Amino acid sequence: MFQPEAPLVERRQVARDLFVLAFAAPEVAAAALPGQFVNLLLRPGPLLRRPFSVHRATEGRVEILLRAVGAGTAGLLALRPGDCVSLLGPLGAGFRLDAAWGSIALLSGGLGVAPFPLAAQAARAAGLEVTWVHGARTAADLCSEWEGDRVVWATDDGSRGFAGSAVDAVPEVGAILACGPNPMLAAVARRWPEAQVAVETYMGCGTGVCLGCAVPKAAGGYDRACSEGPVYRAGDIDWPALPDHLHYRLTA
Amino acid sequence: MTDVGVVLGSLALRGPVLAASGTFGYGTEVPLLERRALGGMVSKGIFLRPRAGTAPPRIVETPSGMLNAIGLQGPGVEALIRDYAPAWAGWEFPVLVNLNGESVEEYGELAARLDGVPGVAGFEVNISCPNVDQGGMYFGNDPVAAARVTAAVRRRTRLPVWVKLTPMVTDIGVIARAVEAEGADALCAVNTFVGMSIDLRTRRPRLANRTGGLSGPAVRPLAVHLANQAAGAVRIPVVGIGGIATAEDALEFLVAGCAAVQVGTATFIDGGAIAAVHDGIAAYLEREGIASLEKLPRCLPRD
Repeated sequence: MFQPEAPLVERRQVARDLFVLAFAAPEVAAAALPGQFVNLLLRPGPLLRRPFSVHRATEGRVEILLRAVGAGTAGLLALRPGDCVSLLGPLGAGFRLDAAWGSIALLSGGLGVAPFPLAAQAARAAGLEVTWVHGARTAADLCSEWEGDRVVWATDDGSRGFAGSAVDAVPEVGAILACGPNPMLAAVARRWPEAQVAVETYMGCGTGVCLGCAVPKAAGGYDRACSEGPVYRAGDIDWPALPDHLHYRLTA
Repeated sequence: MTDVGVVLGSLALRGPVLAASGTFGYGTEVPLLERRALGGMVSKGIFLRPRAGTAPPRIVETPSGMLNAIGLQGPGVEALIRDYAPAWAGWEFPVLVNLNGESVEEYGELAARLDGVPGVAGFEVNISCPNVDQGGMYFGNDPVAAARVTAAVRRRTRLPVWVKLTPMVTDIGVIARAVEAEGADALCAVNTFVGMSIDLRTRRPRLANRTGGLSGPAVRPLAVHLANQAAGAVRIPVVGIGGIATAEDALEFLVAGCAAVQVGTATFIDGGAIAAVHDGIAAYLEREGIASLEKLPRCLPRD
């Protein structure tokens, strides 16, 4: 785990309200695994750090994906090249990949696409055939960048690709990794309990101390999204007990 | 080098900055921690039995602060003794265990169970948690109940007994004196303030528990005042807590009459916060020509 002062090196827009920020943080980039996250501190800014999935981690750069939902994300989007954040990470337990699956689908809704470029690279490196399944409300909200062997788009209004939920657009594959709004992930869990899902929760410290990011388990009790998670076997979560009404919306 | 050591009853600390309960886990979880600066640590609150804690959402950020309702999730005292205390025994600073009970008797039982366990240097009696249905703050805002809990722990141990007070009282001095009279070695002032935040989209409280404890810089002036009131009411040392993030913050509590301080929420943001506070206190004393922390002039209510 590292905590560098990381300068912004690039910002680019990838959908109507989605932006990729790249920070120079070589040690974090080298250590990051798919599904892990970094915890960013902006000064001046909110009191607590804010967690972001590692979007990509190449050439000494850590990329995150974000949408302006509050003062914190607005502050991040106002950064100029060379401005620094404190970047703590990599944190959490990421996706498990197994070459024996042969193929996988990376299923995302809206901002939930965040962890998947890194996952796609790792999966292809492991010899898996990768289908990128990405949905949003409408074409303008789809993240324009994708990685893998083939892509399936889905929009609620049918303006691009499959008309309906991305969950219904997943082809036959050996395994599924999913990230998106918690109600979408609950639907994934009903259909594919073995799928791996990355959940969103409020987070305090991001390092396992505060117990603020409680994830209710189907077997009872709570896990910490920051430490045992954020990636879970879909069937292991008590979905009705997991809040889906975060006051800021991390995902579509 | 300026002497920043402090003596709290029978406990000598190498520095005045402790890690506050609930913000430091059991001492093994904080990343990039500089242990050299720790005067001591107070463990996450423990009950006799394991507790699941409250439903999520458990935390929400508020202006310059955070509300939390964790509900004292924990593994219970036997797991603490088995999994954590052995490591503490080898550390170069004392670890106090934060004690919680649903009844007066449970506090006493916990103290008895932990007394003599290697690694346990003392107790912080939590009569101030705002997020449990039974016990916690309900003992801390009644001087009779606060005294009974203190006495129950005092009877079962020779180790230092600190009592952590709630700010949710009319006169903290009344509680402070009641606790002192039953043999507390020190007071910790203060625990979190009860607060609430509403989500206007759902028109429901943001925390599943409805209310939570407010911490962070938002509470600091309130906490400095209460610590000052408590310090003016008793002869035993007071440990100041509430929104400390920098050495200047800590020095406010020390000048207000506290013998030591605890840093909590700031550790969530930076594992190096305690070291920065510690070093800054030493630098201030040196700059001001004050030979040791004990010689720092205090400003009590009666002054």
